Amino acid sequence: MKSYKIIGWLAVLALLVAVQPLDRSVEYDRLVLGLQQPTPWFQIAARGSAGDTELAVTGVTGVIVGAALGGFREVAATMLWMKTHEYWHKGEALQAKALWLMRLVTLLDPHWLEPWRVTAWHLAYNLYVETDDPALRAKYLQMGVDCLKEGVSWNPDRYDLYLELGWTYFDKVEDFEEANKWFKAAMLYPHPEYVDRLVGHAYERMPDIPRSLDAYDYCLKRDPQDHTAKGATLTIRERYLIPWYLAEQGKYDEALAAINEYLLAKPNSSLGLHVKGAIAEQAGKLRLAYDTWKLAGDISQLDFLAQSKAVQLAHELGIETEDTAQYLYMQKVGKDLKVSMPGRDTMAR
Amino acid sequence: MAIRTDNLSKIYSHDATGRPVGLIDLSLAVEEGQIFGLLGPNGSGKTTTLKLLLGLIFSTSGSGQIFGHPLGSNATKERIGFLPEGPYFYEHLNGMELLSFYGTLFGMGGSRLAGRVEELLHLVGMWDRRFIRVRDYSRGMRQRVGAAQAMINDPDLLFLDELTSGLDPIGAMEMHELILRLRDQGKTIFLCSHLLKDMEPLCDRVVILDRGEMCQSGVVEDLLRVENQYRLLLSNCSDELTQQLQASAQRTEAVDDQLAAYYTDQSAALAAAQQAAAAGAVIEALGAHHRTLEEVFIEAVGGEK
Amino acid sequence: MMRPIFRVARATFHEAWRRRFLNGILIFAILIIGSSWVFAYLQPGAELQMIIDIGLGSIRFFGMLIAVFLGTRLIPDEIERRTVHTILAKPVSRAQFVFGKFLGGVATIAVNLVVMGIAFYIVFAIKAPQFAAAKPEDALIFAAMYSNIAKAIVLAFFEVWLVLGIAVVASTLFSWVLSVIVTFVIYFVGQMADFFQQLSDPERGASKLAQILLGTLYRVLPHFEIFDIREAILQGTYTPWSTLLQIIGQGLAYLVVILLIGYLVFNEREV
Repeated sequence: MKSYKIIGWLAVLALLVAVQPLDRSVEYDRLVLGLQQPTPWFQIAARGSAGDTELAVTGVTGVIVGAALGGFREVAATMLWMKTHEYWHKGEALQAKALWLMRLVTLLDPHWLEPWRVTAWHLAYNLYVETDDPALRAKYLQMGVDCLKEGVSWNPDRYDLYLELGWTYFDKVEDFEEANKWFKAAMLYPHPEYVDRLVGHAYERMPDIPRSLDAYDYCLKRDPQDHTAKGATLTIRERYLIPWYLAEQGKYDEALAAINEYLLAKPNSSLGLHVKGAIAEQAGKLRLAYDTWKLAGDISQLDFLAQSKAVQLAHELGIETEDTAQYLYMQKVGKDLKVSMPGRDTMAR
Repeated sequence: MAIRTDNLSKIYSHDATGRPVGLIDLSLAVEEGQIFGLLGPNGSGKTTTLKLLLGLIFSTSGSGQIFGHPLGSNATKERIGFLPEGPYFYEHLNGMELLSFYGTLFGMGGSRLAGRVEELLHLVGMWDRRFIRVRDYSRGMRQRVGAAQAMINDPDLLFLDELTSGLDPIGAMEMHELILRLRDQGKTIFLCSHLLKDMEPLCDRVVILDRGEMCQSGVVEDLLRVENQYRLLLSNCSDELTQQLQASAQRTEAVDDQLAAYYTDQSAALAAAQQAAAAGAVIEALGAHHRTLEEVFIEAVGGEK
Repeated sequence: MMRPIFRVARATFHEAWRRRFLNGILIFAILIIGSSWVFAYLQPGAELQMIIDIGLGSIRFFGMLIAVFLGTRLIPDEIERRTVHTILAKPVSRAQFVFGKFLGGVATIAVNLVVMGIAFYIVFAIKAPQFAAAKPEDALIFAAMYSNIAKAIVLAFFEVWLVLGIAVVASTLFSWVLSVIVTFVIYFVGQMADFFQQLSDPERGASKLAQILLGTLYRVLPHFEIFDIREAILQGTYTPWSTLLQIIGQGLAYLVVILLIGYLVFNEREV
């Protein structure tokens, strides 16, 4: 070979070697900046071959595979996403397929928040209402929550999925403690202002009156013009503070009398019934507590907390009852439904 | 020495009989200020030789030099011009743009380039048609522009492959005149052609190729000169006359319906002419005989066999 | 030394615009980018993300198509149409010729990408404020988005130029069809580079030999994914110029390697 050729090929080799440190430096930078998005090939493959019989691979066309492989993952994810909507609206038979595709989209593009949100919504809300079996409903709740938790693990710096998760706990499971945990996580990042108020709402419904007042206080500090917070504070002070204080001091009968006075005027107030139920439980009047929670649950079909508490107390009292989905869910995750009122753990506040 | 090759070879493959295909052991020398002809039928290796000299392809053995530089070096290219067979240019350019482009490859520019382009376009008779795009050119127009681009850098050595292909007789004549003028200016011309007739009046020296090998070379004058030969060309010969002439002449040749008789001295030829005239034949021509290149070629190639 | 390169480049550039097929690709790309506007409407709750993904994806994808179909034809066309003869007979070395053709391709692609980039940026600039207004809590992300997108487009240039280099060099080695295939394969495999890295991870349990092979493959291949800064766009991370320059530098290094290979191959090429 001519000399220049030998030199040339040696130069090629030398360059390839010389590039390596630059390559590492770039890799490091990209890692630090969070730009590295290694494709979760093995996770995708694992899901594809999982034992779950619902998983079907059709719908993932060649174009999408090509795009996914060819460095156009996001475009592939977008295309797949549009397909999932198509499947979803074609009816129940294809919903499982659609769900699998949705999870695939989240794998392909984990930083796209929409698929996480929508998938969890489909699970916790839509599939939930398609069945009447509480056990199945509990399962869907679990799946929805798990989905969002995975989404959060991929996107720990965005408020969005924390909020979704919190909201699911708040609205569907009515585990307000858990909900607040996530709301507060959302508040660590740039977020819309109503999240702060949601904390107050959650505490209100638990019920935990002092903490809810604290939450609204925080809202008002942040924005003195916050009308909702202001209104809520006034309402709580007016209606529930006195019964609560009385209960805290152990004066249960007076507390009950106070809350009953309010309930005379507003017999259907679910918050009022929540407070009454909490006081009754704290006072040890389980039957009364059961009746109160039952009433609250009957008045509002969506008052899952009341229903769960009723079921729990029914079990304790030996009354025959049907387990609700939320109750089953809480059981499964080992959640304690006991009310916590100060007097027992004042210091914890 | 403008061009010099030493056993330059380019073997592409071997044919069925084991004979190499390509160019075999070509050694030639072209002096400056000459018109040199590389002649031979199609497929004899002329274009291969040309491409080797220009560095477009590479030899399998042997070597060559142009102006003392190795084949294909940029130093050479500054002083040469090339008109390929075809020729093929960027279709979307017009004559003026094309020439300007080639000029810029030599580093020419500005008004100097514009002036040169205009001069050349006039020279090849394409000035009026300078805005027509190459894709709309006729064969002859391509040839003209091709000659122009070959001369854009005022080269000392011009390589011309099938110079007059596609040109009408007048155009061909203009080209020939141009070549001669260039030679008179001291330039060297390297011509490739299979038109032996046309090359005869132009070339000073020739090399004739046949199937990749040189089969004849020399100064044209020397090759064509035939000492002491006179030719009598007759038509309307009777068989009797023909027989008589065959006996007296050195040799005879039937050319179509004419008879050519060759004599070594003039008086014998004269005598034969009178004899023929008396016998009623028509004297078509009588004079000193020169060979043509074609004859030289056929002889050389025939000799091979 | 440089002048013939630029002359050839300029001639190449002018000629490239006459290729209808490529112009068609450009127009199609602009249509797709424009239509991303509509896609976003069709998807309730879809975010600016979709517009960005389709827009940037189109620029990269169609840019790559143009690079492949232009790059693989630059040199073969000259050889097949024999226009190269008169050029190489002038004082233009083969190296200058190849590099000049490549530069012409670079310029052509640059113009194409600029046009696509402008189309995309227009759609984005119109839509972004609407989304920004709807989600004030994402203000930081939006603030960084404009510069991040501009940087992403710049990186796309280098990504596509790298593909062009591969295409041109492939065309000196293989027939046209094969060079197109080879270029696409190198591109896809280069995109999947992290897959090889994952495979070569000892935890995966592949044989030692396979690990070494895959590891080497990973090291040698051009890593196209380095040009992807989509995460920065979505998370609002500020991408410092030092990182950008390093990425560009790496891309250019690979380009130099590829062009060097092309030179070594083409220098022996008979025309």
